[in-house]
Amino acid sequence: MAVTNTIVHVPKLHSEKQKRIYQEIKLSTIVSIYNHGKNVEEYFLTLKSTLDGLGVKYEIIFIDDNSEDDTYSKLVKIAQQHQNVKLIKMRSHFGEASAFEAGFKMSIGEYIIFYTTRVRPDARDLPKLITKLNEGYDLVVGWRMPRKDGLLNKLISSGFNFIARKIANLELNDINSGIFVVRRNVIENIQIYGGLNQFIPILAKKQGYRIAEEKIAQLSGTFRKSKSISEYLQRSLDILTVVFLTKYSKKPIHFLGFAGGILMLVGGIINLYLFFYRILGYGSIAGRPLLLLGALSLVIGIQMIAMGLIGEMIIFTHAGDIKEYNIEEVIE
Amino acid sequence: MMKQLQMIEVLEKNIDISLVVPLYNEEENIRILHDSVREVLDGLGKEYEIIFIDDGSKDQTFEILKTLHDDNPKVKIIKFRTNFGQSAAMAAGFEAARGEVVFAMDGDLQNDPRDIPRLLTTLEAGYDVVSGWRKNRKDKLIIRKIPSRLANKLICSVTKVKLHDTGCSLKVFRSEIIKRINLYGELHRFIPALAKIEGARITEMVVDHHPRKYGKSKYNITRTFRVIVDLMAMNLFIKYLKTPLRFFGMIGSLFITFGILSILWMLYRVYFFNKSLIDINVLLISLFLFMATGVQFFVWGFLADLIVRTGKRKSVYLTEVPLNGKTLAEESK
Repeated sequence: MAVTNTIVHVPKLHSEKQKRIYQEIKLSTIVSIYNHGKNVEEYFLTLKSTLDGLGVKYEIIFIDDNSEDDTYSKLVKIAQQHQNVKLIKMRSHFGEASAFEAGFKMSIGEYIIFYTTRVRPDARDLPKLITKLNEGYDLVVGWRMPRKDGLLNKLISSGFNFIARKIANLELNDINSGIFVVRRNVIENIQIYGGLNQFIPILAKKQGYRIAEEKIAQLSGTFRKSKSISEYLQRSLDILTVVFLTKYSKKPIHFLGFAGGILMLVGGIINLYLFFYRILGYGSIAGRPLLLLGALSLVIGIQMIAMGLIGEMIIFTHAGDIKEYNIEEVIE
Repeated sequence: MMKQLQMIEVLEKNIDISLVVPLYNEEENIRILHDSVREVLDGLGKEYEIIFIDDGSKDQTFEILKTLHDDNPKVKIIKFRTNFGQSAAMAAGFEAARGEVVFAMDGDLQNDPRDIPRLLTTLEAGYDVVSGWRKNRKDKLIIRKIPSRLANKLICSVTKVKLHDTGCSLKVFRSEIIKRINLYGELHRFIPALAKIEGARITEMVVDHHPRKYGKSKYNITRTFRVIVDLMAMNLFIKYLKTPLRFFGMIGSLFITFGILSILWMLYRVYFFNKSLIDINVLLISLFLFMATGVQFFVWGFLADLIVRTGKRKSVYLTEVPLNGKTLAEESK
């Protein structure tokens, strides 16, 4: 969706030689930018000199996530001056996940670096991540260290990391940094859902890829205003999304059936108790709030199970699209 | 060039039988299994392939498989990146299988490959699925046999597939049936039921069973809960896949009936016994709860109908297909 809502600047390749050099690109750096007009040129130059130092053919794909300042016009100038810079402008502020999707679709490198300038990684540390990847990993997450962020941000982040560690068995410190270096086939093999780019390490781990992390310094200063309460709430809810996606997305009844079963059990016990209380003549139960609790939990339990069954139905009727495994090698 | 031509030749060769074997940490068993399976399949005089799926084993399983492949070109290996479970492994194997007839068996040597020819004969007599029946099961009574028997009873009574031993991993399918079945989650337990949804003719046959020699059993009895909820879903799929509104509507009607009964009882109490509404608060609760839930179930029924109509399942119109030139005879039973 997001991809159609973009303006794209792709370098024009005139000669055969240019095309050939272009096809040799090994590394694609995808950078999502939002309201970064003040020092975008400086940022680009740091990035360029770092990547030049690597000694491989690379491209830089800037995604301007509909900035309100002059970021875009400055990026256009950069893209016109440099053959290996592509530029995508989102028609509206679609967010980092869409930026990543759009950038990835345009990229051709075998290795992908992705980050957003919002988390302010120091581009000079990126080669460290690539070195780590070459030690035999499929994905390396940037660990923002030392972290320069607000307290609430850090708190939500550590909660997220704690849960992710528990459910995905992923021993990382900063899973949701949004900075990573990854091999192309990893991204091609995992489904990315809207808004879930920060879950890529978790999804990749579930598919059996080898994940590592490497420290990356954070630049100081902030490029955007502080967030609203609802944004924080939404980010916390993302944790739930991860739990469902990784554990129950194929078997909703396992979760909803369990939760519903427990509610039914609790409601059943309460109602039985009240039933005998009334039958044996201990008194009236009409005014007791406990009755309401019992009846409610019983009914909500039944509803949860029914919801689980509907979920199963959705999965079953789309089962042809489900591929629950990831093949590393086929030998015939 | 030569090699390419040979490749094409291999690809174009018609395969009669595919054997799918999911493996997880079975290093001690594979060689013995492969040798006995090879002997049996060679004896059939048909083109065959053996597909081993290494479900992310942590031991030497994959290395041993590679040496087997070097030795026997009919061995195919699918290596998973990590452990995805038996359903996923079987799904990958079935997808890769190119034979007209597809066998499935476990890699733990408890099934006897010498049963394969008899299963094949039964299949050719006019069935789409033949499932093994471990009549003399060589497992521990308390932790394996009794739970398994209970589970079998339960699964059979819900799915209405009459088998003595749905859990036996040695089974044979016609490829058109198994290719229609999508295995995910833990659905490998319900393969016969899933085959029934696709319109398959299913029968069973007594097969040999041996005690486990090497390796550890990967089953445990703590999965009871998941089996039960999966069964609820299977029940829904078998009976109401085309008309889920009937299922949800039935439950909804039940709730609404209770609600109406509550109203009647309430009116009766109010008119004949002069009770005030506060005193019969029990009924008020049940009235509102039951009525509301009943209506909700109807709404969900519509939703479920919508899902099924927009879903990607092709409708089942399986026609009889001759196997190996023989025409299937309904009365062959």
